[in-house]
Amino acid sequence: MSTDASGRADERPISLETDQVDGAGAARSIALLCVLAVTASYVSVLYGITQVVGGSLSLIALVAAMLVGATVLARLIRPWTAAALALAAAGIGFGYYLTSAGVDPSVVITAADTIVSDTVALATGLPLLQMVQVGIWTLGFAPAPVFLSWYLAMRGRYGLGVVPGGAALGFLVLTGDAGMLVTVTGTLAAIGAIAAGELERHGGSIQQADLLAALFALAVVLSLSVTVVPGQPAAPTHLAQGEPGTLEATLDTAPRQSGIAGAVDLSPAVRFTVESDQRSYWRTGVYDRFTGDGWVRTGRSSRYDEPLTSPPGSGETVEQTITAETKLGVMPVAPQPITLDGDVTRRTTVSRHGQPRPDTPLSAGERYTVMSSVVDPDPAALRTAGTDYPDSVTDRYLQLPESTSSEFRSQTAEITANAQNPYETAVAIERHLESSKDYSLSVTKPDGNVAEAFTTEMEAGYCVYFATAMTQMLRAEGVPARYVTGYTSGQQIDDETYVVRGLDAHAWVEVYFPEHGWVRFDPTPGESRDAVHTGRLEQARNDGSENVDTAESDDVPVSDEASAPTGTEPGEQPEPDPNETTDPDDPNESTPVTQGNETNETPSNPATDTSGGDSITDGSLVTITRETAALGLVALVGLAAGARRTDAATRLRRKLGLYWHGRRRDPDRDVERAFARLERLLARQYRPRRRSESARAYLHALSTAANAADSTPDKTPIDARAERVVDYYERAIYGTGVSRAEADEAIAIVDELARDRLPVVGRCTATADSQHLRSQ
Amino acid sequence: MTDTNSTGDARTEPTAAGDHLEIPAVERLCADIEANVSRVIVGHEDVIEHVVIALLGRGHVLLDDVPGVGKTMLARSVATSVDCSFSRIQFTPDLLPTDVTGVNVFNQQTREFEFQPGPVFGNIVLGDEINRAPPKTQAALLEAMEEEQVTTDGQTRTLPTPFTVIATQNAVEPNRTYDLPFAEVDRFMKKLRLGYPEPDEEADLLGRTVGDHPIESLEPVTDRETLVAARETVSRVQVAQPVREYVTRLAADTREHAHIGVSPRGTISLLRAAQARAAADGREYVLPDDVQTEAPVVMSHRIKTADRDRDGDAIVADALERVPIE
Repeated sequence: MSTDASGRADERPISLETDQVDGAGAARSIALLCVLAVTASYVSVLYGITQVVGGSLSLIALVAAMLVGATVLARLIRPWTAAALALAAAGIGFGYYLTSAGVDPSVVITAADTIVSDTVALATGLPLLQMVQVGIWTLGFAPAPVFLSWYLAMRGRYGLGVVPGGAALGFLVLTGDAGMLVTVTGTLAAIGAIAAGELERHGGSIQQADLLAALFALAVVLSLSVTVVPGQPAAPTHLAQGEPGTLEATLDTAPRQSGIAGAVDLSPAVRFTVESDQRSYWRTGVYDRFTGDGWVRTGRSSRYDEPLTSPPGSGETVEQTITAETKLGVMPVAPQPITLDGDVTRRTTVSRHGQPRPDTPLSAGERYTVMSSVVDPDPAALRTAGTDYPDSVTDRYLQLPESTSSEFRSQTAEITANAQNPYETAVAIERHLESSKDYSLSVTKPDGNVAEAFTTEMEAGYCVYFATAMTQMLRAEGVPARYVTGYTSGQQIDDETYVVRGLDAHAWVEVYFPEHGWVRFDPTPGESRDAVHTGRLEQARNDGSENVDTAESDDVPVSDEASAPTGTEPGEQPEPDPNETTDPDDPNESTPVTQGNETNETPSNPATDTSGGDSITDGSLVTITRETAALGLVALVGLAAGARRTDAATRLRRKLGLYWHGRRRDPDRDVERAFARLERLLARQYRPRRRSESARAYLHALSTAANAADSTPDKTPIDARAERVVDYYERAIYGTGVSRAEADEAIAIVDELARDRLPVVGRCTATADSQHLRSQ
Repeated sequence: MTDTNSTGDARTEPTAAGDHLEIPAVERLCADIEANVSRVIVGHEDVIEHVVIALLGRGHVLLDDVPGVGKTMLARSVATSVDCSFSRIQFTPDLLPTDVTGVNVFNQQTREFEFQPGPVFGNIVLGDEINRAPPKTQAALLEAMEEEQVTTDGQTRTLPTPFTVIATQNAVEPNRTYDLPFAEVDRFMKKLRLGYPEPDEEADLLGRTVGDHPIESLEPVTDRETLVAARETVSRVQVAQPVREYVTRLAADTREHAHIGVSPRGTISLLRAAQARAAADGREYVLPDDVQTEAPVVMSHRIKTADRDRDGDAIVADALERVPIE
C-alpha cells in the first residue's frame, strides 16, 4: 500500500505539470488567434474599401509590416513607448490623408470643429465610402490599432490588446461599414481573447471553454434578435414612397447610396406630377462611387444656396413645377437644376453633384419650381468635345473597383474598338447593351461585381443593371461617367403636364463631355421596359388599386401618347443619335422615340410581373445567406457546448435507454443494464434507490410502501416480474452468471414495464404484448 | 483484501467428512433444525436462525442476557437437534483452566499419565456465565475456540468436529464478574441477545412446561456427519468481488467512526456468517443483503467507542446506512 501511495505521489506532480503547460500553451495560442481575428475583422472592412477605391496592396503591406514590427518590438520597447509610436503613426497617417485631401494639416488646429463634426458624422452612420479620399484615410487609420493590439497581445496583455482593435472595429460598426458577420466575428474574437487570456493566467483547462462557448452563442443570438446598428436602416425610412421590394426602394435605399437588388416589383402609385414645357427624365440622385454591389455618393452635401453651378456650354433654361402626390423623400428635377423655388428649399441640401434633396419628405400636395439648364448637346459637337477633362472630374468619375477583371476591360475594349471618340464609345456601349441583353425585373442578384456579372454572365436585367454596366464600361474606357437615378417622363396628360408613377423609376447614365457637361445616355432597352411597366399599370388599374391615377390621368389611356410607336432605332436618323441626347433637345421631335423608351409598348408579357414576385418569394425561402449560416453555426456551437456542459447527451442516452435496451453483448452485462433501466423506471415512479440499499431490499421496500399506500391510484403495486429481473441481476453480479435466455427475458420484462409507463399508445401495445406472452 | 483471501483458505480446509451437500439440502437442513429448536424455544426465531447459521459458519456465539430467558435451553436444544455431543461448563470464580480443558491423571495400573478430557471436548459446548470465571480460565476456553485444539502439558489435542461454543454472559451483577477481555470477545462470531418473550409467547412457554419439558422429548433431525458436510458446503458458497469490497468498506467505515473498529477477524467472521446465511437461504452466492443481515450481530461487539452514548450497534447501523453497496 505504502509503495503504491508513494508511486502515485511521484507521478502526480509530473502529470499535473504537463497538463498545465498544455492548457496554458493552448490558451495562449487561442488568445493570440483571437487577437488576430479581431485585427482581421476590421482590416477586412478596410480591405473591402480599398477594393473599391484602390490601394489594397498597400493596405496589406502596411498591416503585415505593423504585425512584424509589433512582434519584434514586443520584446524591445516598453508599453508607453509603443503607445507613443502608435499615436505617432496615426498622426502621420492622418496628416498624409489631410494633405492629399487638399487640406492643409494646420487646419486641424484652425478648423477643429469641422473635423469634430466630420467624426461625429462618421460615427453616426456615414459610410466610409462616402469620403472622397477614403483610400488614403484607410491607410492612415489601419496602422495604429494593428500595431498596438498585436504588440500588447505579444506581451501577453490580451485584455488590453483587444482594446485598440475593438475600438477600431467599434468605429467601423458605427460608420455602418462593418457588416453583421464581421462584427460578430470581431466581438467573439475579442471576448475569446480575453477569456483565453484569463484561462492562461489562472492555468485553467481548455476544457472549461465549453461554458464560454455556450455563453458566446447565447450573447450573439440574443443580441442579434434585438440589435440595430445606426445608419443601416432596414427599410428606406427616409423615403416615404416605395414599398420594400420595389424598384424605387432599391434605387433609393438610403440618402447617400443606391443599392442593386435582385428581383424587384413595380409600384403603380402616382408619385408626383410635373408641369414642364419640356419633356425630360426627372433626376433624383447622382452617384459616383461603385462598390461592386451598389452605388455611393461621395462628398458632403451643402445647404441649398442659389444659384447652383450651371453646366458649361450652351443650355436651354426649362422651368418645371413639381407637385408631390404622395409623401416624397426625393426632389425630382430635370438636370441640371440651377434655382429652386418653394417652401421646401429651406430644408433642401444639394450634393456636390448638384442634385437637391429634401431633409424631410415632401408632403402630398407640396410643390416647388425648378429652373434647370438643360444641356443641349449636338452629336457633332459631342464628337469633337475632346478629352480635356478637368481633374475634378477624372478624380472622381473614373473609379472602378480594384477587383475589376481584365476580361471586363478587354470585352469593353472590343465593343468600343471602332469608336473614335468618347461620344462614339458611349453610343457603342449603349447599343451593345440594348441589343445584347433582355429586359426583366425577375433576376437574381449576382455575387461580386454586378457590372461585370451583367456584361459577362447575365442574359437579362433591368435599368439598374444596364446603367451600372454602362457606367463601368465607360470608365474602363477612360470616359468619365456617373450613375443617375430618377424617374422617366411619365404619362403625358396634356401639353405640359406629366404624371409620374412609382413604376417610372429608372436609372441611367450621365457622361461628361468637356464644354458641355453631363449628357444623359440610357442603355436600357426601352420597348421591353415599357411593355413590362405598362402591363403593371394596367394590371393595377384592373385591380382597382388606389393612387394609381390622378384626377386627369385615368381619362387618358396610358398608351395614347404612344399611338405612334415608331422604331426606336436611332440608326434611321442621319447620325447614330442616342435618343437621350436628342430628347431634351427637341421634345416634339423625339416624343415618339422617348415614349418608346418610357411608357409605351404592347403588354406582351403580362406574366413577367407576377413571375418577378414569385421569384422573390422563392429566393427568400431557399437562399441561405452567409450571415444566416454564420449565425446558425454560432448557435450550433453554443448548443453543442451547452449540451456538453449540461451532460445532455448522457441524459438523452439515459432517457432513450429507458425504453430501448440497445445492442446486446455479454448476458451478465445485459442483465446489469436491464436492471439499471428498471431502477430508473422505479426511481421515476417511486423513489430512487439509496446507494446503501441492496437491489432486493429496494424492491422489497417499494412493494411494502406500494401495498401500504394502495389508496393512491398512481402508485400501482410493483410488478412481480420486477423481482425476476432482480434475481437475474443478483446472479449476474454476485453469483454464477446468467444464460443468454435469462438475460433476454430480463430485457423483455423491462421493455414491457417501460412501455407500461408510456402514454396510452404504449400502454395498449404493452397490454397486447403481455396478452400475447400469456397466450404463449 | 487479505481478509477475503483467507476465506478462500477456509474453503480448502479439510474436514472430517470431506463431503458436502447440495445447497437445497443445506437450506432444508437449516429449516429443519430451526423448526425443531422452536419446539422448545418459544419465539426468538431470528436468534435461533442466527445460532444455526453460526453453527454452519463455524462460529461461536455469545449470548448476553439476564438469567432465565432460555440461554441454556437454546444451546441444549440446538445440540440435541443436530445429534451432537453436548457439554456444559458452569463458570465460577474458582474454576480452573484444567477444569475446562481436562487434566492428565496418573493411572496407577498402567503407571502412566492418562489424559482425562475436560468438558470442552464436545461438539457443542455451553459456557454458562463465562464472565464469572477469572481471565485465566476464560482464556483456556478461548484458546480452544480459536484454535479448535487444546494444549495441556505441552501436548496438543484436536477438538472434535464440529466444535461450537455457545457462551452466555450475565449482564447483571457487574461487581461479581470479570469482563471478557476485548480481544477475547472478538473470537465470538456473534453476540446475541434473547430478551424477554412477548406476553403471549410467555403464556405459550408456560403451557409447554406443564408436564414433561419438551427438551426431554426432543429428537435429532440430522446427524453429525450431515452437519459437517453442510459446513463444508457453506464454506464453498461464492463470494463475489463486489461483496468482498462491500465488506471491506463496511469494516473500514467502522474503523473510521469508532475508537476501535472491526478487526480483520471480524470481517472474516462476517463473510462466513453471510456465506452460511446465503446457503440457508438456498443460494450459492452471497448477496449484500446477507452481509447486511449479519453485520449487526457480527460487528457490534467488536467495536469500542469512546463515546458512551454511541455503542457498537449504532456505529454498525450508521455504517450500513452510509456505505454504498457498489
